[in-house]
Amino acid sequence: MKYIILILLVACSIHLSAQQKQFSKDDDGKFIYYKVVDSQSLSKDTLLQRAKSFVNVAYKKSMKQESATDSSVLAKGTMLIDKTVLVVGHPSGELSYNFVFEARNGKYRFWLTDLLFIPYQRDRYGNFVATTKVGVPLERTPGKLSAGAWKDIVNSAYNKMEKFEEDFKKYLVTNRVEKVKKKTETISTKKW
Amino acid sequence: MKKLLTAIFAMASTTCALAQETTTSPLEISGSVDTYFKYDFAKKPNNITTSFASDHNSVSLGMIDIALKKKTGKASFVGELSFGPRGQTQSIPDAAAGGSSFHIQNLYVNYDFTDQFSMTAGYMGTFIGYEVISPVGNFNYSTSYLFTNGPFQNAGIKATYKFSDKVSLMAGVFNDWNVYSASRGVSAVGGQLMVAPVEGWTAYLNVLSGAGAGGYGTIEDLTTSYQITDKFKLGLNAANYDIDNDGGGYAGAALYPQYAVADGVTLGLRGEYFKYKNVGPVQGVKYTAVTFTANIKSGGLTFIPEVRLDHSGDKPFFKESGAAAPNAGQFSLAAVYAF
Repeated sequence: MKYIILILLVACSIHLSAQQKQFSKDDDGKFIYYKVVDSQSLSKDTLLQRAKSFVNVAYKKSMKQESATDSSVLAKGTMLIDKTVLVVGHPSGELSYNFVFEARNGKYRFWLTDLLFIPYQRDRYGNFVATTKVGVPLERTPGKLSAGAWKDIVNSAYNKMEKFEEDFKKYLVTNRVEKVKKKTETISTKKW
Repeated sequence: MKKLLTAIFAMASTTCALAQETTTSPLEISGSVDTYFKYDFAKKPNNITTSFASDHNSVSLGMIDIALKKKTGKASFVGELSFGPRGQTQSIPDAAAGGSSFHIQNLYVNYDFTDQFSMTAGYMGTFIGYEVISPVGNFNYSTSYLFTNGPFQNAGIKATYKFSDKVSLMAGVFNDWNVYSASRGVSAVGGQLMVAPVEGWTAYLNVLSGAGAGGYGTIEDLTTSYQITDKFKLGLNAANYDIDNDGGGYAGAALYPQYAVADGVTLGLRGEYFKYKNVGPVQGVKYTAVTFTANIKSGGLTFIPEVRLDHSGDKPFFKESGAAAPNAGQFSLAAVYAF
């Protein structure tokens, strides 16, 4: 019994923390996911090269580089918004965004903004596809009828961005060249 | 209890870990449930003979539809079953089997050879036409004459090549319409050209030639929709079906303007002209139909109030007295929940 109470308490706290997540707004009143990260051990050039690799290799299916300078990368991307619980669910739409990365020696910042939601609907073949090409700004105020569903979408979008942040930070601190070298090690079973 | 909980969390963690290490997508579970009330102005069930929502003055069932999809690497499958009148007695394959079982909406496997090229084999929703069996896929709750008389599903194997996001081509071989296994062999060929000339506008040019309803014949079909503004969408379906040896067929067109008047509320019209072709000396019946529909959405639930007026100079409808009539009308209110 005490385990059930414990699980319920954990579930409630997870639910409450999910409710508290909220996007900040930029100068134009648009939602923005903005992060500044200290990275003292990495040079500006390394950060920039890894950010480009993240866009063009790791996330190449969902991101497209628009431009780059000696200290910044601009890209467009999309991410699936879904109703997945553990391994069961289905996509409810996609979120398009603009990604900006800027690097300096020892630190970098990145943000995602211009967030547009495109709803999905199940097509005649059972696949979830976009119902329209026209996206709805995520910061819009929904009507009463769709307020609940919209809140779920905003929460899901925030969770996806946290996952994006986690992936991005991990990618930028990882030396992929060394990792590839480690993978090529072979073990002989002939002598032991 | 402790062991049970530990086992559940261990299994969940393992599944999550596996999902992260492979390119396996989550198992998708989706579907819908629908129910409706319909009132025919002449108090006759089935006065307008298009598919589904046939009862009069009755709170009746549509269907429960459950779909599973899973993708692992480049391979995926879709399995979709429906239960209830819309998915049983009123759907063609199961009606032929006595209507006591269930209806397979989709049952196929797909393999993406590349990002551009894929092949699909099994039983699939037809690529012909604008409307579909699932009420979630249609704006109007009642269906058009074009939908009712066209194929519902095709079993076969098809290959799709995506030249770009704006152009793709599908070609395939199929059984005769709406059957789980071929009664006349793999007897039809079909193709679809998709073009998306401008953002928001998609058009499908479809051809299906071979064994179908009423004999061997060929359907040419245009299905297109254009989201002209963020509030206004226009759809069009036009089709021509010729059955060989002067065996009839049909031709028709339907226009679907829709306008979002508020967040979650969209109003739409369907205007249709439809004609059965002459079979020898027997003249085919002509119909015109106007359907006014509203979609009121709240989360997964959609309320669909609808008024429909049909006309035919050939008097295929009935008055309350049972006499032939040139006009028929009905009101319906449907509730559709999609999950």
